[in-house]
Amino acid sequence: MSLPFSHSVSLPFMLAAHGVSPEAMPLAGFITNSIFVALIVMGLIMWVSTKATTGMTLVPHKWQNFFELIIEFLYNQVEGIVGKKVAPTAFPLLATLFIFILVSNWFGLLPGVGTIGWGEGPGMFTLTEVETPLFRPVTADINATLGMTLVVFGFWIYLTLREVGVMGFLKHTFGAKGGLTGIMGLVMAVIFFLVGLIEVFSILLRNLTLPMRLYGNVYAGENVLHTMSSMLADKGPLVSFLGAVALPLPFYFMELLVGILQAMVFTLLTAVYIKLSTEHGDEHGEEHHH
Amino acid sequence: MHVVLAAQFGLAGGNLIAQIAIFLIVYKILEKKAFGPIIAMLEQRKQRIAEGEAKLEKIATDLAAAEANAQAILNKANDSAARMVKEADDSAKALKETRAQEAIHEASQILAKAREAAQLEKEQLSSQLKQEFGRMVSDATARVTGKVLNSDDQSRINQETAAQVSA
Repeated sequence: MSLPFSHSVSLPFMLAAHGVSPEAMPLAGFITNSIFVALIVMGLIMWVSTKATTGMTLVPHKWQNFFELIIEFLYNQVEGIVGKKVAPTAFPLLATLFIFILVSNWFGLLPGVGTIGWGEGPGMFTLTEVETPLFRPVTADINATLGMTLVVFGFWIYLTLREVGVMGFLKHTFGAKGGLTGIMGLVMAVIFFLVGLIEVFSILLRNLTLPMRLYGNVYAGENVLHTMSSMLADKGPLVSFLGAVALPLPFYFMELLVGILQAMVFTLLTAVYIKLSTEHGDEHGEEHHH
Repeated sequence: MHVVLAAQFGLAGGNLIAQIAIFLIVYKILEKKAFGPIIAMLEQRKQRIAEGEAKLEKIATDLAAAEANAQAILNKANDSAARMVKEADDSAKALKETRAQEAIHEASQILAKAREAAQLEKEQLSSQLKQEFGRMVSDATARVTGKVLNSDDQSRINQETAAQVSA
């Protein structure tokens, strides 16, 4: 049994299904089960970061050491890609992306996420199928992945304009390279203008590829786990129970890997996009020279 | 059609804005409360380590200089001590020589004095012996001859006896 594309059910709707009037919670209309988990993930990240940054000392305590380890690793990675100049500005967003996506992905693997909720069943606490889950993985919601992508896109525009300016960006995208003059120069200018249009299209397309990649991977993983868990559901209570425990187990390890991999892919791609648009011509020259 | 597709994926304006807001809140709070202080702390620690390394290098340089200085002082002290020992040795040798010469001189003087005294004593004894012998000869002569010898006779006999004894 596969899941529908979206299980994002709003809280008032969930409560309305069980006798509570939606008018009782007018401000909770936008809170879906995935936003609910996003709020939990946000709380979790805030709690750990507060614990890590409270009473910081030169000789770090346990939580500080843990957080410093992650941040130092991420900072070195970011600096290695975007360069020393842009790194201090780009790092907070890239690190937030990595941490938020990673925690969201792994939180989605916790028992109960996607399996606790409302649905039809034979008795109390026993459902044949969960129709409206209480918890949904954040990154299995297209709103979350697209939201992050739009923030990234806005930040990318800001950084690009700050570093190279409007004219710099236009020249970098549409300008003819190679230094040819005359008829050949004119031909090359037309070609590079068309290449620039393709480049702009590919830049805009990032707003689709980035969120869909993350959403697709996490959603597919959730589907695999769900399918594996319910594969032996009709073979009797004991076999069904054993199947629900044993069959998804190998895929949990795979999903752990996919969780960190997708967080890295999203973050590194963003870093590469920033690097590509913010690098200056003189740095190019230096790199080639070296 | 696009709207239908988007709705099929669960895309909704309100939810999208809510997710953006959540992410921006996490971003802003982490930036201000976590990344800033932690990066500052990492920078501070890096600076401390660099300072420590510089101090360590300075200590190593100072230690090498102190060791070289100590070695130089030690070498100087060794040279000085060797020179003093040599001077003391030379001085001792000179003193020994002086004392030996003095002892030899004193011994010679003592020997000469002893010889003189022995000679004087010998002479005195010889004189006494001669006088006694002369007196005995005079006495024997007087007894043999039955003549009382006058002082001239006695003096002559004594002189002759002394001359014979000396010979």
